[in-house]
Amino acid sequence: MSRFVLVTTMALGLALSAAGSAQAADTKQLFEFYCAQCHGVKGDGKGINVGKDFATDPRNFTDSVEMAKRTDDDIKTVIKDGGPAISKSPLMPPWGATLSAAQVDELLAYIRKFAKK
Amino acid sequence: MRLLAVTVSLGAALLVMTTAPSYAAGGDAIFKKSCSNCHYTDGPAKEKTIADQLAKKGPELWYAGSKFKKDWLTAWLQAPKPIRPMKYNSITDKNPGDHPKMSAGDAAAVTDFLMGLKSAEVKAGVIKAEVSVRGRKIFTKDMPCGGCHEYSTKDGLLGGKSGPSLAGSSKRLNPDWIYAYLANIKVFKPVRDMPDFGSVLGPKDIENVAAFVATFE
Repeated sequence: MSRFVLVTTMALGLALSAAGSAQAADTKQLFEFYCAQCHGVKGDGKGINVGKDFATDPRNFTDSVEMAKRTDDDIKTVIKDGGPAISKSPLMPPWGATLSAAQVDELLAYIRKFAKK
Repeated sequence: MRLLAVTVSLGAALLVMTTAPSYAAGGDAIFKKSCSNCHYTDGPAKEKTIADQLAKKGPELWYAGSKFKKDWLTAWLQAPKPIRPMKYNSITDKNPGDHPKMSAGDAAAVTDFLMGLKSAEVKAGVIKAEVSVRGRKIFTKDMPCGGCHEYSTKDGLLGGKSGPSLAGSSKRLNPDWIYAYLANIKVFKPVRDMPDFGSVLGPKDIENVAAFVATFE
């Protein structure tokens, strides 16, 4: 009986961990597809679009001091409704009609991790 | 004797194949042979996930006849220059500028084929290229398209690099397609890294932006 419980628990653990890493890969893909062209693959705000006439510096997600000033609600709002929704640049466009609420939540968690590395 | 007959007929067949002029083939056949490895033409859009989009080697062309201007397309197929600063689907690698070239005959035939691929979403003759004040304000300030797209100004090229360049769009793009694409982007590209501006701009504003984009030299 105890062996059965152990095996079941291990199998469940493996399945959850596989699901977790698949989710992580999906979120990385989301970030690199929708965000990294301006915020950079490393989240440092140095994406390929940021040239000499780019009118603002995209948020550097690795800057823990700046990131601490943004609430989770701020970040979700700016992703969904664009920069002007939190009095920031319209160069951050609205993604609310493109991303699901769950994807916005995943991106928020992914973005938060840059400042913790 | 039989060997000789087979050899002769094989030789004759090869001769026909190699001497047949390429312009005798229809544009669809040339496209299938030379282009279909990277571009699909049987719409509607097939992509459902980001992985589907990333698996594509080049843009979908199932609405090419609504998108492009015919003269531009014929000329471009013979002397292709990069439209996207970056390699397709990449935000790290520059466009290598290695799109294959076609002969004038093949380019004309393929253009005829592609210009026949229309989208019912695009209403003809609605948008005229115009430096609209409102369109310019939305393009440059309110919803800055230049964040991702290069565009031409009197001071030269400005703008970002992740999207296709809009420089030269007056020669390349059908203004009515620009409107339809902005108004209902999901029909053309269900999975793309461009926001859905049809959800935040009204029809009149989209008309103004489309008219403005259609002016770029």
